Amino acid sequence: MKSLAELSAQLCEASEKKYVNPYEYLDWPESVERERWYTSPELVSLHGTAAWDALDEPARMRLSFFEAVNFFSLNIHGEKALIEGLAHRLYAGGSAGHSDYLHHFLDEENKHMVYFGGFCSRYAGKVYRDRKVAFPREYAPGEEDFLFFAKVMIFEEIVDVYNVRMSKDERLEPIARRINLIHHLEETRHLAFGRAITSELFERHAPGWSEETHRSVAEYLASYLRATWKEYWNPDVYADAGLPDPYAVARAAFDDPACRARRREIDAGCVRYLLEHGMIAEEPAP
Amino acid sequence: MKSEPEVRAALRDWVVRTNGQVSPADIRDDTPILERRIVKSLDLMDLILFLEELRGLPIDVEALKPGVFRSIDAIWTNFFAGASV
Repeated sequence: MKSLAELSAQLCEASEKKYVNPYEYLDWPESVERERWYTSPELVSLHGTAAWDALDEPARMRLSFFEAVNFFSLNIHGEKALIEGLAHRLYAGGSAGHSDYLHHFLDEENKHMVYFGGFCSRYAGKVYRDRKVAFPREYAPGEEDFLFFAKVMIFEEIVDVYNVRMSKDERLEPIARRINLIHHLEETRHLAFGRAITSELFERHAPGWSEETHRSVAEYLASYLRATWKEYWNPDVYADAGLPDPYAVARAAFDDPACRARRREIDAGCVRYLLEHGMIAEEPAP
Repeated sequence: MKSEPEVRAALRDWVVRTNGQVSPADIRDDTPILERRIVKSLDLMDLILFLEELRGLPIDVEALKPGVFRSIDAIWTNFFAGASV
């Protein structure tokens, strides 16, 4: 198995070789027709619920447009937080550490926001707001760094499942497929780095943590997974798609067995990784 | 629009339901729910959705100041009585 330093060097080489100019990669259509597929129907948050059954095909397509805007918006918010955290860790403690790769990571995350922001601003005239709130708190040694990269890993692994499926879905409008594809291609490297650094930090710091810290870290990761998923069931999306009582729709759909099953199927790989490495003790409820 | 006692009761119910271990008798309107970790930071997105639905108005998360979720009293003052955010 490669060390983190070897993996970082290999990823740097790949990032340099596959460098993409974000201003040339996409051909942006002047405008888009909203009654087309922008999210795979099976990945639309309401799929499998009574609310979905009640919609006709054009209404489902309109919803899929706003779901794409939400998916791209939550990526923008996730990547903003990621960029802040990565920038903070560049040359931290006066050492280069993994900074060579962090430069690429930062560069690629910024480009992703160009794609996501470009779609949202051009075709929806907005980015959906972020409802995540974080307050400063105390951490055990190494806990903050570990949680930062573990959260990045959870967030990106879920997103990547959506990206992979939608990049291959020929029902989707080309612009939506292509954004999902480029994001997946670059995220593959981030995912490899994310898993490697998360396990490296856990192995380095966790042996020194108290039982209480272990318990609170596991609890935090399970809560983070749930909060990450919660953003995919956004009442603002349902309001824009013209659904009545959007908050009730979001609540009911989030708890619907079909949606729970979909979450469990999509996050299975990530949850397995957390379990196998002892980062969480039991499978969180979907 | 719900009355003040209805809003406070709904907030207390939400805190008890979200925590899953405390009873309504454990929660006073001035109990510091975040400081005592009765409500955790990752529950706040759920709380914001709950408050938006309860008051029928969106919340400007970027304008939130520290302390607005400190207790049921603080939530009432900031999101309902004065509706500063």
